[in-house]
Amino acid sequence: MAGRDPLLPNAAIVARREYRDRTRGPLFIASTIILMALALGVALAPIAIRYFDRQTVTRIAVIASDDALALRAIGVADGLLNIPPAGADPATWEKTFLLERATDPDAAEGRLLSGAIGGVMKVERLPTGQIDVQYRTNGPADGVRSQLVGFAAIAIGILDWTATLPADAQLDPFLTPRFEPVSINAPTIGGEPVDQQQLASRAFLGIVFVVLIFITVVIYGMWVATGVAAEKSSRVMELMISAASPRQLLTGKVVGIGLAGLTQYLAIALPALGVLAVQDTIAEFILGPSWASGAPLVGLTPDLLATYGVFFLLGFTLFALIYAAMGAFVSRPEDLQTLSLPLSLLAMVGYLSAIVALGGGGRGFVTILSFVPPFSPFVMLARVMIGQVEPWELALSIGLLVAAILVVAVVATRVYAAGVLLYGQRPGLRAFISAARRA
Amino acid sequence: MTLEIDHVTKRFRSTLALDDLAFEVPRGQIFGFLGANGAGKTTTMRICLGILQADSGEIRWDGKPTADLPRRTWGYLPEERGLYARMPVLDQLVYFASLYGQSADRARDDAQRWLARFRIPEYANRRAEELSKGNQQKVQFIAAILHGPDVLLMDEPFTGLDPVNLALLRAAFVELRDEGRTIVFSTHQMEAAEALCESLAIIDQGRVVAAGTLAELKRTSRARTVRLGLEGETMPAWVGAVPGVVAVRPGAGFVELELTAETEPSAILAAAMARNAQVTRFEVAEPSLEAIFIEMVGRPAGDDATLADDDAALDTEAEGDAPRIIEGAA
Repeated sequence: MAGRDPLLPNAAIVARREYRDRTRGPLFIASTIILMALALGVALAPIAIRYFDRQTVTRIAVIASDDALALRAIGVADGLLNIPPAGADPATWEKTFLLERATDPDAAEGRLLSGAIGGVMKVERLPTGQIDVQYRTNGPADGVRSQLVGFAAIAIGILDWTATLPADAQLDPFLTPRFEPVSINAPTIGGEPVDQQQLASRAFLGIVFVVLIFITVVIYGMWVATGVAAEKSSRVMELMISAASPRQLLTGKVVGIGLAGLTQYLAIALPALGVLAVQDTIAEFILGPSWASGAPLVGLTPDLLATYGVFFLLGFTLFALIYAAMGAFVSRPEDLQTLSLPLSLLAMVGYLSAIVALGGGGRGFVTILSFVPPFSPFVMLARVMIGQVEPWELALSIGLLVAAILVVAVVATRVYAAGVLLYGQRPGLRAFISAARRA
Repeated sequence: MTLEIDHVTKRFRSTLALDDLAFEVPRGQIFGFLGANGAGKTTTMRICLGILQADSGEIRWDGKPTADLPRRTWGYLPEERGLYARMPVLDQLVYFASLYGQSADRARDDAQRWLARFRIPEYANRRAEELSKGNQQKVQFIAAILHGPDVLLMDEPFTGLDPVNLALLRAAFVELRDEGRTIVFSTHQMEAAEALCESLAIIDQGRVVAAGTLAELKRTSRARTVRLGLEGETMPAWVGAVPGVVAVRPGAGFVELELTAETEPSAILAAAMARNAQVTRFEVAEPSLEAIFIEMVGRPAGDDATLADDDAALDTEAEGDAPRIIEGAA
């Protein structure tokens, strides 16, 4: 019957109706605005966090047995704890630790307990001349800050010892040493070492992309299913099925709702992406130049965006076809809840595997799943994002996905054709299969 | 140019829905397709439309099998009415017509003309859900004819309409017939069929039990219709109990009785005499379509055929109750 019913123009007519019906609904407009605001909020969150970070200054009380020792301890600890981040302008950068002299140990202890200060550093000179530094903190004893205080203790000891040198000994003033750790296990892309910031950005975007694909597939897929089920339960399907072929109806439905989804999606994503792209500028404007610490989109290349677009479209199409067949099969929209659970779980498996892949784990099964539809849109995308994919792997994964879509389209059309006029059936796998056979 | 139903058989698993069904509908006629619920009327229409495939046999229009005909050949009014609830009436009429290849402008003009004719022009921009059931039904009728189909397949078009709308719809049928369109409608309302049909087919359990023009059917029928008037009794209960009486209808000053072919009308007169009833009127009338139907099928059209298998769900003919006493005879 395909000869009698070419896909166009009817599929386009159906798609246009579906698109308008979705995008003109008050629910669609309201949810788009709310989600847009939410996405903007998330995109601006790092700036807000940095803004509040700037506001929080950790106070540390220093108790020393004499003035000289107190001065030295404060000087050394201040130098070690307040190292400005790379690229920050020392003129405008504000210290995050404030070291202050305290004379009453009990009062200091009380302030520590109440959380008013972050730590108490007790510096004493023992009768043997040895310096004793005790650091009391509300954080862990082996935390980074505690370790820095440990370095400070050594430095204070050395300084105190140099003070015992004869008064005419010429010494340059003490300078805090510079220190930069470098890991030999740093990740590479194509043999080239990856910029640490770029890698972090790609992993972050990977999570965003995988979450977006998951949400798209489940929510917009469910739109397709409920749309079909509603047509069936309102019996308008009887008119539709005589006016257009199942193939035209199914294609129109998936394309129309897909485009409506894409519209919502772009309305949500574009402003947020825009904010992310200029986040550093905003941060610099609000917080000053020293706070611009790397744009989160620095790892986003046109290639990655294109890969994401391809997997988004193919993944949605695959799932939407299955959702449509499912919608055609139930007599009441309520039954969809039960029937759609296994499909949501399939999407969930893909999603979680992708998250594992983004963390660099599960090499073996992640590689396998990145080729197997319907998991591949999630998992292969995750692998691409963290840069461990050969071009042939990508081609194979997309090829298999397209093949799966073609097979599913044929089966879904049969199930749809059989299902739309089948009323009063309990949803079940056996009925599903026998309906598809009879069509 | 005819619509040929050529020995079509359709089986749903264990149920034989159409059993070698064969009849012809001449072009430009209003054709009644009569049968009880479950007789196979909807299945036949769905095979015409290509929604279902026949197991054997073929349906042809103008000599061409249905698979070779464009969809716009047909205009279909399904028995199960349904519209997009939230979509404005005019928009959906244009939408359906455009699926059949009609231009939007033409569809819009024609739809407005039909809405005016059906006395609901003010609903053009209202959502379908705001319309009463009867008005929704009229909108669906318009949806079926807007693209100018050659053949109209109307599944129970008159159910649920009040007398005014019934008259509007009947007038529309005649107008469309006069334009040269062929109208096939199923019904179990015999009065509507009798008033409109030029020819008809009665089917039962997927088989044609009688077909031809109304005059032919009446001529060959052995069914008897008797009008009986009794002094002081407008609706005598006892007549229904006389052997051979299959239906009783109240009339103005008389009751109309349908008798089986084997029952002589004089038996009724004899029964009245035996009860010492005062007979004011006794008339043996031309058999009504109702009587012919009962003669052919063995029960009134309101009675359901016995289709109880799950697969009967495919054939969504509505449940109907079966009044043995039929209101409002001629």
